[in-house]
Amino acid sequence: MKTQLVWRADVAFNMIFTVTKILFACLLWGMVFQNRETVGQFTFHGMLSYYIVSSFLSQLDMSEGISREIHDKIRNGTFSKYMVIPVGIEKYFMAMELGVLSFYVFFDFAAAVVWVFVFRIRFVFAAHPGTVLCAAAMAVLGLVFMVQLNYFLGLLTLKYQGMNTFLMIKNNLAALVTGSILPLALFPETVVRLLRLLPFYYVTYLPAMLFTGKCGDEAVGGLLVLGGWMLFMQFLIGAVWKKYRVKYEGVGI
Amino acid sequence: MDQIIRINNLTKKYRRYRKKEGLAGSIASLWKREYEEKTAVDHMDLSVAEGELIGLIGPNGAGKTTLVKMLTGIIAPTEGSIEVLGYYPNDLKNEFKKQYAVVMGQKSQLFFELTVNDTLRLFKEIYEIPEEKFQADKNYFAELFGVRELLDVQVRTLSLGERMKMELMVSLIHDPRILFLDEPTIGLDAVAARQIRRFLKEVNEQKGTTIVLTSHYMEDIKALCKRTVVVNHGVKIYDGLTDELFDRYQKNKKLIATFADPVGELTLAVPGAVLLENGPYKKVYEVPKQSARELLAGLMEYEPKDIVVEEEEIGAVVERVYQEGSDGFAQIS
Repeated sequence: MKTQLVWRADVAFNMIFTVTKILFACLLWGMVFQNRETVGQFTFHGMLSYYIVSSFLSQLDMSEGISREIHDKIRNGTFSKYMVIPVGIEKYFMAMELGVLSFYVFFDFAAAVVWVFVFRIRFVFAAHPGTVLCAAAMAVLGLVFMVQLNYFLGLLTLKYQGMNTFLMIKNNLAALVTGSILPLALFPETVVRLLRLLPFYYVTYLPAMLFTGKCGDEAVGGLLVLGGWMLFMQFLIGAVWKKYRVKYEGVGI
Repeated sequence: MDQIIRINNLTKKYRRYRKKEGLAGSIASLWKREYEEKTAVDHMDLSVAEGELIGLIGPNGAGKTTLVKMLTGIIAPTEGSIEVLGYYPNDLKNEFKKQYAVVMGQKSQLFFELTVNDTLRLFKEIYEIPEEKFQADKNYFAELFGVRELLDVQVRTLSLGERMKMELMVSLIHDPRILFLDEPTIGLDAVAARQIRRFLKEVNEQKGTTIVLTSHYMEDIKALCKRTVVVNHGVKIYDGLTDELFDRYQKNKKLIATFADPVGELTLAVPGAVLLENGPYKKVYEVPKQSARELLAGLMEYEPKDIVVEEEEIGAVVERVYQEGSDGFAQIS
């Protein structure tokens, strides 16, 4: 048991860390809701339900490691490992992400359910099956988009050599604009309108809202916008790979 | 025989950044960066026939690794033409990549978290190898390399010698037409290096795999390659029979004698022999090849504990080839 826990420590910590956001949300929103029934379009339990779902979804997105891995491998000359085997490199990373995710999804889901009971949250869930289906599809597409984005950013190392600071900024910005820190509905309407044009809106925030029974009218449009961004990102990946692949020199002569 | 590698006038230039020493140099480089051009491979011509086992030797920085990187498509050439198995390697076409394998002594192709068996299975899927053939080849290589008991352990737990055997096994599992080996024996002890050489010879003879081997160990080349290309500063300075290269340019041998009890000065009148190290328990001589037997006989009279005969290091051979110029050597084309 002890050995298994050591080996699986990352899984255990991943499960435990889902609680930090929920705990934070409980404390913060508990105080905010002391004197009012609703904030924006959220009730207290609606807000916590949102945090449970968005925390679960953002925990599943582990694609950040892809950009770091590509960055490091290009820098230390070991990216050639992927260039000499007959697989699409992007597909390889996509499959890797799927493998990691399918391992974690069960544990993270179990953790989310446990926290619902521990914090006695009256979970608010979408009533319409079509909305749930759209939310599920959007969540999956959102994860694929994040893999694309991180793969693309990793590839930029071919051109810019060092991307670490940029990747750090991207991670912090992404946490904000995907709505995993604060529901985007609490931002001013103009900002929300702007964010709707960006793909991040559809990665965590909108699926979480759909799962908790809100923004149903945005479901189909959201899928289309996200799909459009995915096509655009795929085009960018192709163009960057074609142009900068020849700049790869590895290490040493 | 079909030429499966053809390169003509191939050149690779790297652009590298120069920075003055220290913090001041770092700050200055923020505004003004100085670059220099380094030619790693310089207008090289080469062709290799299917089934050949060709050695590529040269000192460190000669351009051997750069050449292998261009042949496998990892990097793009600056000038010249290159064709491997009918493809331009840097197009990185999957049909091309399925037909070769590359093993770099200093860079692993393996996945460290996986076991060897899982790595092999991953490669089976990548290369679309039928199950029956996969099992047969896996058993063949496991027997050949003597690694059957290591197949279920994580790659990260293997020793360097064991890992190199696994690198070879994984690279050969899809029956590549060409195997590129970049310093496969680097860092290995004598026994492991000898085993690797034996495997490579068998694979070349039994499976007809074309092997392009770079090394700066004379033993690798001498034991394996009928043909050798010598590269120095990115330029090909010899392309011909390995035997002829060594007959002609390897002039000396090194004899290392160790003794159980301390010995003083040895009186050995061998023409051309030079005493390089003169310790009480160890004597190191460099001697012309033709006098090696005489020196050996002389040393035996002092009843040494052990005597090792080493080949002359690659740098000296390259220097001699370079000095003599490229005229008059046997060209294979």
